[in-house]
Amino acid sequence: MVDTLFIDGIWEKEIVLGKEVLEFFAQADVKSVGLFASVQFLKLETVRDQLDQAGITVKETKAKRTHAATQVLGCDAYHDSYSDSIMDSVDALLYIGDGLFHPKALLLSQARKKSIKDIIIWDPVSSLMKTLGRKDIEQQWKRREANLKRFIAASTIGILVTIKPGQQYLHLAEKLRAEFAEKGKKAYIFIDNTLDISLFENYPFIDAWVNTACPRIGMDDIVNVKQALVNIREAFDPVTALEELA
Amino acid sequence: MFDLELEKVIAEIKAKGKKKVLIQLPDGLKTRAQEIVDRIESSTEAAVFIWYSSCFGACDLPLGLETLGIDFLVGFGHNKYHYTRTGW
Repeated sequence: MVDTLFIDGIWEKEIVLGKEVLEFFAQADVKSVGLFASVQFLKLETVRDQLDQAGITVKETKAKRTHAATQVLGCDAYHDSYSDSIMDSVDALLYIGDGLFHPKALLLSQARKKSIKDIIIWDPVSSLMKTLGRKDIEQQWKRREANLKRFIAASTIGILVTIKPGQQYLHLAEKLRAEFAEKGKKAYIFIDNTLDISLFENYPFIDAWVNTACPRIGMDDIVNVKQALVNIREAFDPVTALEELA
Repeated sequence: MFDLELEKVIAEIKAKGKKKVLIQLPDGLKTRAQEIVDRIESSTEAAVFIWYSSCFGACDLPLGLETLGIDFLVGFGHNKYHYTRTGW
């Protein structure tokens, strides 16, 4: 790899929660929140003070792949993505940032839970409050279930591997291929850089696909193609994964 | 506005004597590519290039840059990514 410097691109202005967020928490009798943000919005001293003054306890954690506490990445979308899971112990989840990709990871990470907590979003760029809830992932959820059923029934599988430095899981693909061989199933491994799942139609001999790159491909992008695609994590034990989603 | 820390970038390029620099920007910052390139090139001896497409995160760094003689990559909008070999 070439010598690399990362620049976070920190939001320069002071981040101050809008009064609508605090009113929402007051009306919902929220006494504790799990606080999360994308890397640009980690200067949260004022937000912590505001919540403290409102009598709300703030809990924070460090996700598995992030560099900083409180930070969320899009790939932190599984229940064990967080080293100290606070999802269960707080009344609400508050995300500070300007997009929906990262807070959606917080929703997706609750897949195994009976009741899912909405994500309250404060966007410092537009100064707007938004909420994300189960309805926002319902379509993907149903598709994940359907894809797992089709994957279980498949006899010829395509496993996608990328060469991107932080997404290289060829060793897992080869392990899965070996497991398939023991079951009398055939698996082919496909390599690329940026995966374009619209190219699936070039390989009609594949019954179902397995993604080893970014987990969000197997959660979000699946609704854009008719072929079945599951994530490598579910592919090793699709029956259990199906039970957890149901 | 987002702080691009160009003084820090320029200082690193000068200190390390970098000659060919590639900048990689997420979609939300791509519109600032011109400003970044012009500023770095006017302040250093380095030629600066722009990664055209994907920037999904720190997991998604361009490969093979050595073949073009690029000796420094500046990734904006992300911080260090902790890869776990066991998967996600």
